[in-house]
Amino acid sequence: MKILVVEDNERVARFVTRGLRESGHTVEHAANARDGLFMAASEPHDVIVMDRMLPGDIDGLAIIEALRKSGNRTPILILSALNDVDERIRGLRSGGDDYLTKPFAFGELLARVDALGRRSVPGSGERTLQVGDLRMDLLSRRVTRGSRAITLQPREFKLLEYLMRHANQVVTRTMLLEAVWDYNFDPQTNVVDVHISKLRGKLELDSERPLLRTVRNAGYMLCEHE
Amino acid sequence: MNRLIRSSALTWAFGYVLLGIAALAAFAVPLWYAWNVTIFAGREEILRDDAQRLTEVFAHEGVAGLTAHINARVGLQIAGERTLLLTDGAYRPLAGNLSAWPRGVPAGIGMHAVMADLAGQPTHTLLVQTTFPGGYHLLVGRDLSRFLPLERRFTWGLFGAVTFLFVVGVGGAILMRRRLLARVQGIRQTVSAIMQGDLRHRLPTAKSDDEFDTLSQTLNGMLDHIEHLIRGISNVSNSIAHDLRTPLAELRSRLEELATTRPPAAETFAEIDAAVADVDRVMRIFSALLRLAEIDSGARRSGFVRVDAAAVAAEVVEFYEPAAEQKGVLFSFHSAGEAAVAGDPVLLAQAVSNLIDNSLKSVAERGAISVRVGRRADGAVEIAVADDGPGIADADKPKATERFFRGDTSRGTPGVGLGLSIVDAVAKLHGGVLQLLDNHPGLLAQMVLPVTAARSSR
Repeated sequence: MKILVVEDNERVARFVTRGLRESGHTVEHAANARDGLFMAASEPHDVIVMDRMLPGDIDGLAIIEALRKSGNRTPILILSALNDVDERIRGLRSGGDDYLTKPFAFGELLARVDALGRRSVPGSGERTLQVGDLRMDLLSRRVTRGSRAITLQPREFKLLEYLMRHANQVVTRTMLLEAVWDYNFDPQTNVVDVHISKLRGKLELDSERPLLRTVRNAGYMLCEHE
Repeated sequence: MNRLIRSSALTWAFGYVLLGIAALAAFAVPLWYAWNVTIFAGREEILRDDAQRLTEVFAHEGVAGLTAHINARVGLQIAGERTLLLTDGAYRPLAGNLSAWPRGVPAGIGMHAVMADLAGQPTHTLLVQTTFPGGYHLLVGRDLSRFLPLERRFTWGLFGAVTFLFVVGVGGAILMRRRLLARVQGIRQTVSAIMQGDLRHRLPTAKSDDEFDTLSQTLNGMLDHIEHLIRGISNVSNSIAHDLRTPLAELRSRLEELATTRPPAAETFAEIDAAVADVDRVMRIFSALLRLAEIDSGARRSGFVRVDAAAVAAEVVEFYEPAAEQKGVLFSFHSAGEAAVAGDPVLLAQAVSNLIDNSLKSVAERGAISVRVGRRADGAVEIAVADDGPGIADADKPKATERFFRGDTSRGTPGVGLGLSIVDAVAKLHGGVLQLLDNHPGLLAQMVLPVTAARSSR
């Protein structure tokens, strides 16, 4: 993917661009708001990572608003040191697609960038999701693996749906908390892990190929292939 | 002197003295005017009438008649009331109560107010002099000195009153100022002591309940509050410093060890992962503190909506179910239907989550946790989380919601000691309270959220 990183802090910028490059992305970096706006407007990117606080008279949110007004629909991940709920809402309202609070683990950033870059357009009329031999019928809410039917609780269904929509991508625990439970607080214990292991128990019987992989220091991935 | 002038007590006192004098003047001036105009003019008229009557007697009855009339009147009247004298052309007395024509009486007919020599002594007299055909002179007079003492007394009384007002006013002002200064001085000294950092000082209060006492009591209340807050802040910063030291110390020694021993790559990476985990722990503490600050600021109240506390709790319970199941804990949920409150759904969920999380950490395997949502008789919504774990010692209960407090029973379990602080803050934000009770055995933590509180505390 081609990613634009607008970040004035040199160390954070280096950390982010290097990490994204190592993950196989093409990365461009702008260190201030003017360059960022210019680069974002002049060529297409798959994802923009935008620092909320930038030096100079334009801040990150203003750039996002300007881009959205000019019809630019590139997914934008906002980075911010502000963790208030209100700030988060303001960020998303200005046209950002996701919000990540500094400091963050790189795995979290990468997972969110991947999710933004490859997200399927909502309401595209899909009726089924398929990952390997796992099939989910969104209308009848039936899940099967091969010929075996899997019974899921409503919340487990939602969890699996999210994982399937982001198949072959790393999905972090916070992403799951936000997307599946709508909680943006830290539940202290590893409750998400327990949900995942329960879901895994239903998805993978002893004889079957593992589908749901745990990615160390990052989260989970639903994999199509070994 | 400058200070004297600037003293508000003196200014006020002078103002009142001037006001008093003005009032006296307003009283005395019309009185004086009335005295002069009414009484004096009246007296003149009476004298003229008298002289006129005597003239008529002379016209009708001649000198003999007038002499008899005057003698009769002098015999009747009270001494000194009226001066009457009839003389012949050479001023020799014919009748009356004066032995001789007084000296100092101007010649000519008319009225004179003069110092006349009556009966041997000079007297302030008002005289009417008439001359009759035949050279006879008539003198009708009235002693004015009778009213002199009265006038003098009036004047002296007036001056006395002004002097009294002035002396009492100025004296009172000086006394009052001294008293005020003493009180203000006391307050100033205390405040200076407080400004120098000793918050234990309190303003002196007498039992008099006057304005100064009321003010002092209010200020003392404010000082109590400030002291409490500052102590809280210093407790929190001490705790933060203390709680952050541990992971930071671990992190430091880990990094230092890495730098000095330079172990093989695999081990190095494991150590780096552990170091990142240390940093994450520190970050966790910071996010919890920031969240607390956000809740405490009350800013979230603007986003209050109608929330069904029962539904929120049910979702959190569902969220924790697998974790409870994994530990073999008997986890139950009861609700008496919808329990609507005005609130922040995310914060309420976090509060319930923290309570369940605490219980889950403290109960033994195969323990029991029950969550109940119900309405009290007064309409308040009650969210209760009860467990059969070790509970919180009675002595620790008041401190349990303090930041970073960890009771003996929770030591050794994971957590940073901010969970109950957040629950408490959320309850307060919603106008409610967090109660920590004994569940015999275990802990019964209940949040009581008044239904109207969210609206009234706005």
